[in-house]
Amino acid sequence: MKTVSKLLLLLGITFVSACTQDEDLVIPKQEIHYYLPELSSTLQVTGFPQPERNILSVEGVELGKKLFFDPNISGNGKVSCASCHKTELAFSDGISLTNQGVSGNTLHRHSPVIFNIAWQEDGLFWDGGAHDLESLNFGPLTHPDEMGADLNSIITYLENDPEYKKQFDLVFEEEQIQSATLSRAISQYVRSLISQDSKFDHWKKQEASFTEFELRGYQLFQQNCSNCHKEGLFTDEAYHNNGLDQTYPDPPGLEGLYLGRYRITSNPEDLGAYKTPTLRNIALSAPYMHDGRFATLEEVLDHYQYGIKINESLDPQLKEGIHFNESERKALIAFLGTLTDSSFIQKHHRQIN
Amino acid sequence: MKNLIYTALFSSLLLFSSCNEDEVPATMAVDISLDHIISGQPLELNGKSFTLPSGESFTPKKFKYYISNVKLTNSKTGEIYVESDSYHLISEDGNKSIDLGMIPTSNYDQITFSIGVDEIANGKTDQTGDLDPNSDMAWNWNTGYKFLILEGEFTNAKTEERQGLVMHIGTNANYKTITQSVNGLKAGKATTISLVTNLDELFVDPNSLLLSELESTTIMFGEMADKVAENYSEGFITIK
Repeated sequence: MKTVSKLLLLLGITFVSACTQDEDLVIPKQEIHYYLPELSSTLQVTGFPQPERNILSVEGVELGKKLFFDPNISGNGKVSCASCHKTELAFSDGISLTNQGVSGNTLHRHSPVIFNIAWQEDGLFWDGGAHDLESLNFGPLTHPDEMGADLNSIITYLENDPEYKKQFDLVFEEEQIQSATLSRAISQYVRSLISQDSKFDHWKKQEASFTEFELRGYQLFQQNCSNCHKEGLFTDEAYHNNGLDQTYPDPPGLEGLYLGRYRITSNPEDLGAYKTPTLRNIALSAPYMHDGRFATLEEVLDHYQYGIKINESLDPQLKEGIHFNESERKALIAFLGTLTDSSFIQKHHRQIN
Repeated sequence: MKNLIYTALFSSLLLFSSCNEDEVPATMAVDISLDHIISGQPLELNGKSFTLPSGESFTPKKFKYYISNVKLTNSKTGEIYVESDSYHLISEDGNKSIDLGMIPTSNYDQITFSIGVDEIANGKTDQTGDLDPNSDMAWNWNTGYKFLILEGEFTNAKTEERQGLVMHIGTNANYKTITQSVNGLKAGKATTISLVTNLDELFVDPNSLLLSELESTTIMFGEMADKVAENYSEGFITIK
């Protein structure tokens, strides 16, 4: 379609210009500004991964942001992406399993934080089922218990909104808004959410100092947690069974939902395995785990100390549990607090009306 | 639309070649039609019951699948036509034909196409045309497309009760390529290649499915889905 119109346009242009020889016909067009986000060395990443088909632009991010906060792109006009990814909670929702979707049914997985996503290159969702953001977005958008949207109706809504129409036109240069470009715009916004300005980052760059307590916590983190919550992004982007359950039920209607990454790979080693979540902004993003079963960081530490369920797919590093005494716990939690990025929250905070 | 390009392109070619009047035109119009049959009769949705090879009574409700990467070959000369961006959603209640438009002339004697979409196209869902995720064919929790959907109701032979059947077959391993001989494609002559899709073949050869015996009649991933794909890899779509 696109090629055809381009060809026809070109042909038309050729004819027109052949007759008039007038070069002033070019209508000045609003420009689009591609950019690469500035990255802190403390993220310990090289470059900013993004798909060639959807390169970040100021205008694309702006459009994506508008869509992200717009409840009109849901089935009942009441649920936006931000309903479950709240800026003030570092884009999590504070609920273990939400029922805020259009159907009111309770979901089976906890809303994850969605910053520093560009570097999650080995699958998205807790089980890594989505290959990239551009594909992922159709999940929450269309799931009957989440935003429950009919893609064709959203496109009609966007097409009929002159402001949206103009923005899509500028960013994607297509004669018609498509579900593909809708998802790409949202992806640009989400990819632009980068948390890299916490006390930890400033301390690393020698712009801030740690208390002794925080420093002790950092050392404990390095010794006990950093294999999976790798410093920098504070996740290894990999999937582990961290001993939450002994066995995994598989009710027929749920398509293997409780099986962890096994659902995607059919590899027995992935039974009960979920993606390591980042520890950045962890103090803001309770409750914890893929199903939000732990309300506090203390409960999480209790699990690693006393609660590990041993089965065949358990990550072997966790067999003995992770042991901290009371003061170590406090120190560790103090260190985790240094990963809270208030300027990131402030920068992206937006009142939802 | 694609036709338009080809027409535009090739009509210009024609202008140049029109002096040699006896020559075979440089292009020919080819399209493909698909008929859906079950139990020897034309498929109908939402009403009529058909007998499956197992003898079970089945009422189909939804039937859709992807045909992709269509290619025509002249095995004598080695000439090959490959359709670009070749993804076609075929459905009983929607489109049942593929218009290749004006293609380079040749006495093609083979058609090759695949059921499903190839690994590259199956790796993302922000796509347009027949791959637009608005068609209900994209999985939303496991990136990729359903290659074939058959849904309906059957009568359980043991309980006599009506029960649902849901077949959503996908995943890269189940992308199957089919080659068939075709007759009657004459260089320069507009032709329709008629294909028949026989739903019986989803249930037999090499794997016989007895729905009443299945552990689950929701067939989406895993061994049963692979068996259905094995069944559709041969004899499911043939030349009329």
